[in-house]
Amino acid sequence: MNKLKKIMNESFFSSPVKLSSNHLLAIEGMKKSEIQKLIERADYFANLDRHTNTKVLQGYVVLNVFFENSTRTRVSFELAARRLGAEVINISLINSSIKKGESLLDTASTLNAMRPDLLIVRHPHSGAPLLFTDYLNCSIINAGDGRHEHPTQALLDALTIKRRVGYLEGLKISICGDIANSRVARSNIHLLTTMGAEVRCVAPSTLMPSNLENLGVKCFSNMKIGITDADVVMLLRLQNERMTGTENPSEREYFKFFGLDEAKLSLANPNAVIMHPGPMNRGVEIASALADDTNRSLIKTQVEMGVAVRMSIIEALNHTKKK
Amino acid sequence: MIFTVLKSIKVLNPKTYFNDISDVVICNDKIFSICKDFKTDVLQQDRQINIYDCNGLTMSPGIVDMRVNIGKTENLTAIQKIAAENGITSMVILPNQTPKLNNPSIIDHIKRQSENPNLTKVNIYGAATKDDQGLEMSEIGLMSEMGAIGFTNGNKSIKNSLVMRRLMSYAAMINRPIIQHAEDEDLSGLNKASTSLINGEMNEGEISTRLGLIGIPSCAEVIIVERDIRLAKLTGASYHVAHISTRDSINVIREAKKIGLKVTCDTAPPYFALNETSLLSYNTAFKLSPPLRKEDDRLAVIEGIQDGTIDAIASDHRARSKDTKAQPFSAASVGASGIETLFLMTLELVHKKIIDLNKAISLLTINPANVLKMKKPSLEKDELADFIIFDENCPDVINQNNLKTSPTPFDRRKIKGKILGTFINGQVAYMNQILKDKIIK
Repeated sequence: MNKLKKIMNESFFSSPVKLSSNHLLAIEGMKKSEIQKLIERADYFANLDRHTNTKVLQGYVVLNVFFENSTRTRVSFELAARRLGAEVINISLINSSIKKGESLLDTASTLNAMRPDLLIVRHPHSGAPLLFTDYLNCSIINAGDGRHEHPTQALLDALTIKRRVGYLEGLKISICGDIANSRVARSNIHLLTTMGAEVRCVAPSTLMPSNLENLGVKCFSNMKIGITDADVVMLLRLQNERMTGTENPSEREYFKFFGLDEAKLSLANPNAVIMHPGPMNRGVEIASALADDTNRSLIKTQVEMGVAVRMSIIEALNHTKKK
Repeated sequence: MIFTVLKSIKVLNPKTYFNDISDVVICNDKIFSICKDFKTDVLQQDRQINIYDCNGLTMSPGIVDMRVNIGKTENLTAIQKIAAENGITSMVILPNQTPKLNNPSIIDHIKRQSENPNLTKVNIYGAATKDDQGLEMSEIGLMSEMGAIGFTNGNKSIKNSLVMRRLMSYAAMINRPIIQHAEDEDLSGLNKASTSLINGEMNEGEISTRLGLIGIPSCAEVIIVERDIRLAKLTGASYHVAHISTRDSINVIREAKKIGLKVTCDTAPPYFALNETSLLSYNTAFKLSPPLRKEDDRLAVIEGIQDGTIDAIASDHRARSKDTKAQPFSAASVGASGIETLFLMTLELVHKKIIDLNKAISLLTINPANVLKMKKPSLEKDELADFIIFDENCPDVINQNNLKTSPTPFDRRKIKGKILGTFINGQVAYMNQILKDKIIK
């Protein structure tokens, strides 16, 4: 009976989502209903047998342009696009045109001349994908820009939580770690507060951005208080490459106060789950054993959900443009 | 002998508090007469007389713009011309160009190069220190003899307290002001020696958090201002803070003035007309130094203008090429154009009833001249005829496409007012068609 209901749901109720924009640049400003639909559609893709034919985007050209190193996000986008039947071209611009002195906008115009349908862009500077929208005719997905946003990560985190817990509204979710330098944190804050979760941010005061509470979250510099009764503990990577040496005395001191270990986790809801956008620094933000605890850690599920969420988004942008 | 007669023009002369409709006669490079109902027939025997019907128009001394950056790709003569078109009869350029204006011969060279009776007059700030690190005093005495009117490190703060003390002491001896860009560079992350990872990009606060841009705390300004005021007290120097932008700094200067220290400051239109919310779409035209601040700081700048804590308004012109601005915010260059909007944006304060016209003109003319110990411009008989003619109510819209420098932070702003003519040394440096059409004879 359940199986039948599931099939009914899939075939009758799940259809491509139409968005209000041709681009996915940020969670901030997105409507709750849009987020909800994207997650539902992604849930449908996640439930599909991996060999189901979902190739609805034959001939659709996706440029996967990364100005910053990435393995998981780039592969995840590529897989998602390929499963939809699109042609994917990966372009790594970390060392090429930028070093030759070509301006970002010349790069954008060059890419535009190749007439892609979709550009997926990761860039070390906040706001860069928005700038691209002025110079390209295709849809653009922000795959992470500087310290600003990483919208697909927030959507996949939401799907992961929803599939495990069943809902988002009213959940106590603690985002812990290097909030100041984290685009994942910003996207998650916007998404989770929009969906009605109670969001807490835990960070050493040196890594807490100013006036963060104005984004509708509670801020804590004591992790033990910040994760008490939490349903979800989301950890962030300590972004050493964006630091100066004045944020934090040492990794071991960080782990003592802000690393998740059994003792701190025991203060959270007994069923609390652990998430991390990866890549992890084991023994810095999370005790290694907890990261591998399959009962509590959803880290691998997050990666898996990434593909489904990105399928849902790519499909939606194609659908939106058609309209 | 060439005579220019401006019939029934409203003459606004802040130095003498004169504000009345008069006929003004210019002869060669001087003001010949300001009187009611000038009889032109006394001049009949002379060769050339130009008479303009200036009914409804206003005349004031020409603008003294005390802060203009000449960028790498800009040409000084071209900037002088644009400045003249926008009512600026005298401007002061910063030393941080290439090559640096840090020795007497280059000051002399620029002075000579820029001398042109029909263009905006150029004054120069000499570089206070020889090097970029700000550690060795330049030959400020010799530069002063060549005509440098003040000393500054341009868009960099004079950071070392001992160097600043010595500079102030020496500058006081030769009676020249020290002009400071007040910013603690370690705090704002602009000191490359201490860190290359944190480059302050905008004012720190909720907006910087939302945009994921690196914030510069507003106290980075007042920290330097407070230190410098103590050194000004110690040395008796004339100390001037450029483009002031925060409430705290303005408060500190207000107190310093109360106890009689020779402390002055100026601001620029972005700091009284805009706030940090302009950055919400990552528009790089708003990437300025100091950064656009909170609304409360903007209001404090307005209060400072009203109560006289802020002495002058400068354009803080720092035009940038489109290429360096069409970049992600973090990679874009800092600065915006200003000489083309200085007068219009200051006039906006009058239309918004924040200050009266006389005060606005003072902030642009005699006040900066006073701060820089220059001769105060005045519209009186036998004074040099450096003045502007404008229509204070002509409605217009600032449009980047019509401007010669970029980027303007005021694109598409509705304004009222228009410069119709600029006279330098009694000669027409600029005249708009509207004024040309008003010629009677």
